[in-house]
Amino acid sequence: MIYSIYHSTRFMYQHEVGFSHNLIRLQPRDTAIQKVLDFELTLEPLAAECEAYTDFFGNHLHHLLVREPHSVLSVSARSRVQIDSNGLEYSRHRIHEVKALTYAEALERMMFLTPQIIEAKQFALKSPLLPIASTEILNYLFESLQYERSLYEGIIEFMGRIFNDFSFVSGFSDLSTPVETVFSEKKGVCQDFAHFALSALRSAGLCVRYMSGYIETIPPKGSEKLFGTDASHAWFSVFFPGFGWFDFDPTNNMVPLDQHIVLGYGRDYGDISPMQGVLSGSGSSHLVVMVDVSRE
Amino acid sequence: MFERYFQNSSYDEMFDHDKNVRPHWKALKSNLEKIGLEQLLLKQKEIDWRLEDNGVTYNVYNDPGGLNRPWKLDPIPFILEEEEWKKIEAGLKQRCRLFNLLLQDIYGEQRSIKEGIIPMEVIYAHGGFMREMHGINMSLGMYAADMARGPDGKIWIINDRTQAPSGLGYAIENRLTMNSTMQDLFEGISIQRLYDFFETFKSVFQNNSRSFDSLNVLLSPGPHNETYFEHAYLSSFLGLTLVQGQDLLTKDGALWLKSLKGLRRIDTVLRRVDESYCDPLELRPDSQLGVAGLVQVLRSEGVKMLNPIGSGVLENLGLNPFMPHLSRYFLDEDLILPQISTWWCGQLHEQQYVLENLNSLIIKTIDRMGEKYTYIGKQLSEQELKALANEIRLQPHRYVGQEEIEFASCPTLIKETIEPRKAVIRAYTIAHKGDYTLMSGALVRVGTSTDSLVVSNQLGGSSKDLWVLGESEGIPLSPIFHSNAAAENSLGNIPSLRAENLFWLGRYLMRAIITARMIRSTLKFMTNASRFDHASTSQTHEMLTKALTHVTMTYPGFLDDEKSVPVFEEIASISFDPSRVGSLAQILMMLSNTNTYAKSILPLEASRIFERMGREWNQFCAEEKPYPRFIIHNLDKLLMQLMAYKELIQESLFADQGSVLYEIGGRIERSLLLISKARALLTPAHDPLSEYEILETLLSTCESLNAYRARYRSSYEMRNIIEFLVLDINFPKSLISEIEGLMKILPQLPKFKNTTYLSRYEEPIFEAFSAIRLSKIEILAALPENGYIRSELDTLLSNLSDRLLCASSELSKTYFAHYDE
Repeated sequence: MIYSIYHSTRFMYQHEVGFSHNLIRLQPRDTAIQKVLDFELTLEPLAAECEAYTDFFGNHLHHLLVREPHSVLSVSARSRVQIDSNGLEYSRHRIHEVKALTYAEALERMMFLTPQIIEAKQFALKSPLLPIASTEILNYLFESLQYERSLYEGIIEFMGRIFNDFSFVSGFSDLSTPVETVFSEKKGVCQDFAHFALSALRSAGLCVRYMSGYIETIPPKGSEKLFGTDASHAWFSVFFPGFGWFDFDPTNNMVPLDQHIVLGYGRDYGDISPMQGVLSGSGSSHLVVMVDVSRE
Repeated sequence: MFERYFQNSSYDEMFDHDKNVRPHWKALKSNLEKIGLEQLLLKQKEIDWRLEDNGVTYNVYNDPGGLNRPWKLDPIPFILEEEEWKKIEAGLKQRCRLFNLLLQDIYGEQRSIKEGIIPMEVIYAHGGFMREMHGINMSLGMYAADMARGPDGKIWIINDRTQAPSGLGYAIENRLTMNSTMQDLFEGISIQRLYDFFETFKSVFQNNSRSFDSLNVLLSPGPHNETYFEHAYLSSFLGLTLVQGQDLLTKDGALWLKSLKGLRRIDTVLRRVDESYCDPLELRPDSQLGVAGLVQVLRSEGVKMLNPIGSGVLENLGLNPFMPHLSRYFLDEDLILPQISTWWCGQLHEQQYVLENLNSLIIKTIDRMGEKYTYIGKQLSEQELKALANEIRLQPHRYVGQEEIEFASCPTLIKETIEPRKAVIRAYTIAHKGDYTLMSGALVRVGTSTDSLVVSNQLGGSSKDLWVLGESEGIPLSPIFHSNAAAENSLGNIPSLRAENLFWLGRYLMRAIITARMIRSTLKFMTNASRFDHASTSQTHEMLTKALTHVTMTYPGFLDDEKSVPVFEEIASISFDPSRVGSLAQILMMLSNTNTYAKSILPLEASRIFERMGREWNQFCAEEKPYPRFIIHNLDKLLMQLMAYKELIQESLFADQGSVLYEIGGRIERSLLLISKARALLTPAHDPLSEYEILETLLSTCESLNAYRARYRSSYEMRNIIEFLVLDINFPKSLISEIEGLMKILPQLPKFKNTTYLSRYEEPIFEAFSAIRLSKIEILAALPENGYIRSELDTLLSNLSDRLLCASSELSKTYFAHYDE
C-alpha cells in the first residue's frame, strides 16, 4: 500500500518581507513499517539556498533561504510512503510478545545500561516544553499502571481513558498551554493529549517520544472525502526495554500501524515543529495549512 | 605595615603559619614598606582615577547607582613562583586537551557516553548541551579556569569557563595600570610579560584568514551588556571588528558583515553572545542578539568560531567526579591539578551522601541555567533544606554536592589598612599550533569581606594583577601594547548598524529640537495671548495647536472633532508621556538609545551633557508642573543642552566615522518637519490678524525671525514667508536649501560613486529638488476663489514629503538592510 501525502503552508504577510530563513521538517523518515519512496519540496518564491540534513534525532530537515522580497510564502511538500507488509506483520507480532513485560520488570531492566538503554533514556528526562507531572496526574496514570501488571496493557488502558475522559476541542489550547490545564479542563487537541501522556509517563520513569506525522482519515459512509481536509497529527511512543519502541494514539484510541505515517520524533513538539522561520520585516502574518493523505 | 595583618585562614599567600614572610614575597614586602601606607593610599587614588579616566567600567544590570560601575584594582599584586606556575600551566594545558577531545566526542560519536565513561544525564540534562550542534566539527579554541589555593597549599580548579570567558580585557588593563602607576613596586622583581600571549592570540586569527580582505570579528550583545567595556577594549586590542548580531547576515554558506561598502566575508568569530542567543532560527527564537542561519554556516564550516556554540556543556560540575576517569580514557594520563571533591547526585550512593549531609555541603546545579544555582547548606532553614532535598530527588542528575573549602588569603588594601582577603585566579588559554598557550598572568578577584566566600564584581569586589615571577622568553616584538583601532577606519568599513545609528542620531536629534521648539512657541503664544484681547487669538490658537499635532503626528490630538481637547493636558501629554508615540519624551528616549550605541565614537563631553540632560529631564517629568512658564523655562534648558550636544557632535565626528550619515539623517528630518509645519500653517487661509500671529510664531519655531527681518524689512506677509521658508535658495534654513544640501552630500556614500546615473536613493531627492526649483511663488501663494487652501502649495509639499521618505527608505535598503546583495 502506498500513501500519497500533500502538505502545503501559505504564509501571508501584512508588509513585504525582504528575506526569510526557514527550517522545514516535512520529509517523513523511514521506520520499520514505512518506507519513503519520493519526496518533493516546492517553494514560492524560489529559495536562493536549500540544504538538507538530518537533526540530532535523525529527522530530515531542510534549511531554506528566500532572498526575494515577497508578501506570500508558500511551502508545499509531497511525499509517497509505502507501508511495508512484512514490517507491519512483524510489528503486530512484537505487540503480542511485549505484553508479557510488567511495569516493574521494565523499570528494573532500565537499570542495565546497555547502549540501547542509554540511547533511550534521554527520552526519560524532563524536556523543554514538559514539566514533571503533578501528584494528581501521576495518580491518574497509576490507576492504569501497576508494577505487577503488563506495561503494554496498562498503557493501552491509559490511552483509552484519555480518549474517553478528554474531549477533542480545537482552539482551546496552544503550545503554551500547560499540561496541568489540559488535565484539569480535560480538553485539547492531539498535541495536548500526546504532551499530557508524555509528561505523565516520563514522570513514572519511562522513556517516551513525541511522534509527529499524519493519519489517514476515512470519511463517513456515503460521503466523499474532500481533498486537503486532513491535518498534521501527533501521538506518543514508549520504550520497552528488550523490545524497543511502541506507538500509542490517545486521540483516536488506537495503536498506530498502517493508518499512521511518521514524519519524525523528538522529546516534545519543540524538537519537531514542521516549520520555523526568521524573517526581515514587520507587521502581522496569517497562515493557511492544507494537508491531504490518500491511498494511491 | 603588616603588624596588624591578621590571618584567619588556614593558608596565607604572603605569610606562613609562623608569620614568616614567604621567600617569593620578600622583595615585594620591602618595596611596599619603602612606599609606606600613606603613599600607597595615594597610589590607590591614582589607580582609581586612571581607571575611571580610561573609561574602565563594569555595567551592572538594575544597579540603582547608575549603569556603569568603575572597575577596582588593588595596588598589591598577587605573586606566584615560576615553578608553581609551570605546574599550573601543565595542568591547564592537560585540561584543555582533555576538554577538546570530550567536546568533539559529545557532538560527534559520543563514545564516552555509549561506553559509560560519563553518565548520559551529565550531558543530556545540562542546559548547555545543544542538540542542534550535533555532528558539527568543533574544537575548543579558548578556555579559562577559576582557581584558588586550598588549605593544603595546592592550587585547585574551582570552575571551568569554556563558553565565552570574560575578564581578559580587565586583566590587560590591570597590568597596564600597574605599569604606569606602581613602578616603585617592581623594583628588583622580574615578572613575565602578558604581551606574548596576545601576539599568539592575534596570530590565531591571522592564521585562519582566507584572504587579505576578510574580517575577524568580536560578536557582542551590545552596549547594555555588563562587560561591554571589555568587548570594545579587546576587539581593538586584537584587531577585531566589534559587531552585534544585527550587523551580520548569512548566505551562501558564509557569514557576512553588512558594512557601508557592502557585504564583507567573516572568517573567524570570537563570541561574547551567550550561545543559546546566537541564532534565532535554530536556537532561541526570541533572541534579538543573534544571526539567523549562523548554526547552518557553522555546520557547513563557512566560518570558524573560536569558542564554538555548544562548548558551554563543558562548564559542567557534573563532570567533576568523572574527570580522572575521562583523563585516563582520552589521554591515558592522571589529572595534574586537583579539583574540589564533588558528589553527583545522579548516582544512588552519592545522592544518599549528599542528602544526609545537606546542611554542611554546598549544593550546586550542574549548569547555571536556572534562577538559582548555588545553595550553601549551612545557611538554609529547615524548610529550605527540605525543599532542596525534594528538588534533588525529583531530578537528582541536575545536582552536585561539594565540600565547603576554606581558600587561602592574600594581603589587600582595604580602606586604610592591609587585610587578608580570599582570592580567586582566572587564567586564560588559547589553542595554538595543536596545543594550548597559557597567558603568563591572570585576573585575580578578591572577596568583599574577610570571611566572604563570594568573589564577584557584581557585588563590588576588587581585583588584582597576578605576577608570575621569572623572565619571558625572547625579546618583545614591541615594547608597549599598541592598539589596532586605527586599522578599520574608512567610511566603507563602518558596520551598517553603526551607520544606521548615526543616521537615526541625526534624525532623532533634529526631531527632538524641533518638537521642543514647537511646544515652547505654542506655550509662549498661549501665555502671551492671554494678555491681549483679540478676537483673532482663538483662531491662531486653534491653528497652532493643530500644527503641533501634525508635526508630532500625535493624532487625533487637537484634530479630534468629536470632543473638545483640554489644551494644557494635551500639551503636557505630548511633552511628557513617554508611552505616547511622537511625544517629546518618547523622542528623547529614542535619542537616548541611539546615543548609547554611538557613545564610543562621540566625545566624552557629549556623553556627559547627554547624561545630565537625561537626568534633569526625568527629574522634571516627575515633578508637578503648575503653570506653563515653568514648562517653558525647562524646555529652554532642554533646548540649550540639546544644542550643546549637537554642536559637540558636529565638531568632533569626522568623515571616516560616518559623519555624512548623521548629516543626511538631520537634513531629512529637518526637511520633513518643515514640510509638516508649512502644510499646517502656510497652506490654509487665515484672517489677517491671526495670520500675523501665526507667521510670527512659525518663524520663531524656525529660529528665523531675525533672518526674515533682515531679508524683507517688512512685516509678516504670507507670500514672503512662503518664498523665504520654501523657495529661497540663499536662505540656508529654507526647504530648498536643505534638499540641495542632501543632493550634494549623498554622493559621498561609498556605493555608486562616480557613476553616470543616479542611485535609487538619489533619484527622489533630485526629483524633489527639480520640483521645488521650478515652482513659482505666484502660483504657490495664490488662493483659489472662495477657497481656503493653497492647493498648489499643498500638492508640492505633499509630493516633496513622499520623495524624501522614498529616499530614506531606499537609503536604508541599500546601506542598512543589504536586500540586493
